[in-house]
Amino acid sequence: MRYVQYFIDAVALGSLYSLVALGIGLIFGVMRLINLAQGELLMVGGYTLFATNGWSVFVRVPLVLLVIVGLALLMERAFRRLRSAAPATMLVMTFAVSFLLRSIAQKRWSAQGKSMNIFSGLSHAFTVGQLRIRYVTLVSIAVGGVLLLGVNLFLNRTDIGLQMRAVASDRRIAQALGVRTNRVVVTAFALSGVLATAALLLFVPQRPTVTPDFGLQIAIVALIGVVVGGMDRLAPATFGGFSIGFANSMVFSLLPTGQRVFLDSVLYGLVIIVLLLRPQGLFQRERQTTRV
Amino acid sequence: MLVLLAGGLSTVFSQSVQLKFHNAFVITAMVVCVYVSSGNSGVISFGHVSFVAIGAFAAGLFSMKAQQKGAVFNDLFPFIKDNHLGNLATLILAAALGGLYALVVGIALVRLNGLSAGIATFAVLGITRNVLRNWTKVGPGAKSIPGVEETTGLTQALMALILCIVVAYIYQRSAAGRRLRATREDAIAAQGVGIRIYRERLIAFTLSGAMAGFVGAVYVHFLGSVSTDQVYLDLTFLVLAMLVVGGVDSLWGATLGGLSISFINTLLSEGEKGLSLFRQKFTLPTSSSGIILAALMAIVLLTRPKGLANGREFGLRGFRRRDSI
Amino acid sequence: MTERPGSLHATALSRTYAGVRALEGVTITVRRHEVIGLIGPNGAGKSTLVNLLSGFDFPTSGSVMLEGFDITTWSAHRRVRSGLVRTFQHGHAFPGLTARENIEVAALGTGAARGVAARRATELLELMGLADHSNAEAATLPHGDERLLGVARALATMPKFVLLDEPAAGLNEDEISAFADIIKLVRDERNAGILLIEHNVPLVLGVCDRIHVLDQGETLAEGSPTEIRNHPAVADAYLGATAG
Repeated sequence: MRYVQYFIDAVALGSLYSLVALGIGLIFGVMRLINLAQGELLMVGGYTLFATNGWSVFVRVPLVLLVIVGLALLMERAFRRLRSAAPATMLVMTFAVSFLLRSIAQKRWSAQGKSMNIFSGLSHAFTVGQLRIRYVTLVSIAVGGVLLLGVNLFLNRTDIGLQMRAVASDRRIAQALGVRTNRVVVTAFALSGVLATAALLLFVPQRPTVTPDFGLQIAIVALIGVVVGGMDRLAPATFGGFSIGFANSMVFSLLPTGQRVFLDSVLYGLVIIVLLLRPQGLFQRERQTTRV
Repeated sequence: MLVLLAGGLSTVFSQSVQLKFHNAFVITAMVVCVYVSSGNSGVISFGHVSFVAIGAFAAGLFSMKAQQKGAVFNDLFPFIKDNHLGNLATLILAAALGGLYALVVGIALVRLNGLSAGIATFAVLGITRNVLRNWTKVGPGAKSIPGVEETTGLTQALMALILCIVVAYIYQRSAAGRRLRATREDAIAAQGVGIRIYRERLIAFTLSGAMAGFVGAVYVHFLGSVSTDQVYLDLTFLVLAMLVVGGVDSLWGATLGGLSISFINTLLSEGEKGLSLFRQKFTLPTSSSGIILAALMAIVLLTRPKGLANGREFGLRGFRRRDSI
Repeated sequence: MTERPGSLHATALSRTYAGVRALEGVTITVRRHEVIGLIGPNGAGKSTLVNLLSGFDFPTSGSVMLEGFDITTWSAHRRVRSGLVRTFQHGHAFPGLTARENIEVAALGTGAARGVAARRATELLELMGLADHSNAEAATLPHGDERLLGVARALATMPKFVLLDEPAAGLNEDEISAFADIIKLVRDERNAGILLIEHNVPLVLGVCDRIHVLDQGETLAEGSPTEIRNHPAVADAYLGATAG
C-alpha cells in the first residue's frame, strides 16, 4: 500500500513536469531554441499570484494567464532575431533573459520567499483505505492528461498545428512552401505560456513560496527531462519530463529519511546513466541513417 | 597588453575599486579554462564549475589550521581534518584534484555530443554540489569555509590569468590541440585521417579540469571564504555567457568576453555602493547591476551573434581572422 | 526585355561565390504549357540556377521575371505564393509528417482551406501512385517515393511553374515512364511550365519540348531534343559521356 501511495504521488509530480517539458519541447521544435527562461514564466506568474492574494479566483486565473502568455510573447520577440544563430548563442541569450527577469524580481521583491495561494482547497486530502490522497494530486493528473491530449489534438487536427509540425520538421522548407513561420512560432510560445500557467497553478499547493529562483529550478529539471527523453520529437520530450518528475518523487519516497538530502545526486546519477546508454534519448527511436 | 590595462585602470579608478578587479581576472581565467575544452572541441560543458569547486574547497580546507577545522568541520575525514598545507601546496593540490576529477568524469562523458553532453556535464555539477553540501566528511556542508588566507592580490590574480592564457595558447598550438580543433570542424573528416576524437577530447577535458581546479584555489584565496552556492549555477552560467559573448571559437574571444563582462559586472556592483569615476560620484540603484548586465549581454548577442571577437584570434602580428585551424 | 506574360524568364544570371563563378550570364525562359530540360555535367551550375530561380539563393547580377514582375529579390515563399515552386534533389519531405500531411501543409501554406487541402492531397496521392502510403510517415518511405512525394507537395501549391530537381533519381524503368506521363499531365492539364533538371537522358529527351544545356556555368546549347541530340559540342561535353 505504501508503494501505491508513492506511485500516485509520483504520477502527479510527473504530470506537472510533463506540462513544463511540453512547453519547452514545443518551442524547441519550432525554433531549435532551448528556452532557459521558460521557468521565469512560472516565476512571474507566481509573483502575480502573490500580488493578488485575496482577490477573486475568477479575476486571478485569467490575469495570471494573461501575464504569462504576454511574457511568453515578449520573449518570442526578443529571440526572433536569433533564429538562425548558433545553438550556444541562443542558449546564452535565453539565460540572459532569465537572469534579467530574476534580477528584476529580486530588485522588486527581494530574494526572500513570498507566499502565494490559490485554490487552497486543493491541499486538503481524503483517505481511501490506507491511501491519503490530496485533491491536488488528482487534479494534477487530470489537468495534465487533458492538456497533453488537447495539445496532441491541436497539433494533429488543426491547420496551424499541422503547420507547426511541418516547421518543427524542417523550418526552411516549410517557410519556402509558404508556411507562415512567424505565426507558427508565436502560437508555440503562446501555447507554452498556457501550459506554464496550468503548471504554476498546480505547483502552488506543493510549493507555496515564490522566490526569484522559483521557476529556474523547475525549468532546469524539466529541461533535463526533455533532453533525457529525446528533444527531437514532442512525445518523447514530454515523456522525459514526466519521467524526471516521477523519478524525483519516487526516489525521494524510497530513500531512507537520513539520505534524502542526496536526492539530487541519485537523480543526476540516473540522468548520466541514461544519457550514456541512450544518448539519442530514452524514448527516441533509433536514429535513422543519416541521409547525405 | 593586460599589464597596460591594469596600469590604465589604476589611473581611472580609486584604490578601493581597483581591489575588486582581481575578481574579474580570476573569473576570466575560468572562462579560459572552459574554452580549452569547450572552445577547442565544440562540445559545451556545464560541468567545469565542479572542478573550480573541487579546487576551491580542497585549497580552502587544507589551508585552514587543524584545530580551527576541528571546531568548525568536525565531521571531516581525519586526513583532511588533521593536515594543513601552505599556499603554493594548496594550489598544486587543487590543480591535481581538479585534473583527476575531470579525468574520471571525462572517461565516462566525453563520448557524448551536443545537448546530451551539456546535460550530462550539468548533472556532474549537480552531483558535485549536492555531495559537497551534504556529505560533511568531505565538504563544508551548508556552511562557508571561513578565514582562508587572502593571498590572491591584483598581481597574483593577473599572473594566474596570464598563466591560464599561456597554457591554453600552448595547448591550442600543439599537435593535440590542432587535432582536437580538427574534430570540431568536421568530426567525420578528422576520423578519416586517423584522429581519435575520444582521446583528444579527454586530454583537453583533463587539462582544463586541472586548470579549473587551480583557478578554484586562486579564487578561494581571493574570496577568503567560500560556500557551495558560490560555485554553482550562477557562476556556471555567467562563465558560459562570457565565453559565448566573447566568441566561443577563439582564445581571444574567451579572454575578451571574460574581461569585458566581468569588468562591467565589477563596476556595476561597485556602482550600487557608489562609485567615483573621473572624480564624479555615481550611485546605481540596488540590485540593478544584474539587470543592466543581462541587458548588455542580450544586446551584444543580438547585434553580434558570433561574439565580440567574431572568430579573431591572438596572433604575433596583431589580430587576424582565423580562416583555418 | 523579351519576356511576356505567361513565362518565367531569367536574364543574364550570374552568381559568384567567394570569387568563384558558379553561373555566368545564363538566360533562360520557361513558358507555361512547356517542359524545358536542364542538363549538364556535375558542377555545370544546374543547382545554382534552380536556387536563383526559386529564391533559395540570389544572383550577383542579372534578373528573374515571373509573368512580367521582377521577382529577383523575392523570398522563396513569396514566389511560391505567386505560382513558382521547386522540388529538392533529396526530396526533403517533412520526416515526422505522414505523406498526406506533407501535401496538405503545402496547400495550407498557400492559403487553401483545410477541406480544399485535404481534397488536393487525396488527388495528388492518387496521381503519384502514393495512395497506399498516405498515412505512412515520410521518414519511412523509400527514396524514390520520397521524391515523388516532394513533387506532389510542390503541385499542392497549385503552381504555374514547377522546377523539378532530379525527381527521377532512384526510380526504376517502369516508374520512370510513369513519371514521364505525370510530367506531361501536369503540363497539359494544369497548363504549367516545367523546368526539369535530370541526369536520365532518355527521360529528358522523351518528355521535354526544349532543352537547355549548361557547362561550366554557361549556356552551351539550347534547342529541341533533336537539335540537342545532334549538337556536336553537347555530345562531346555531356551526352557522349553519360549515355554510354
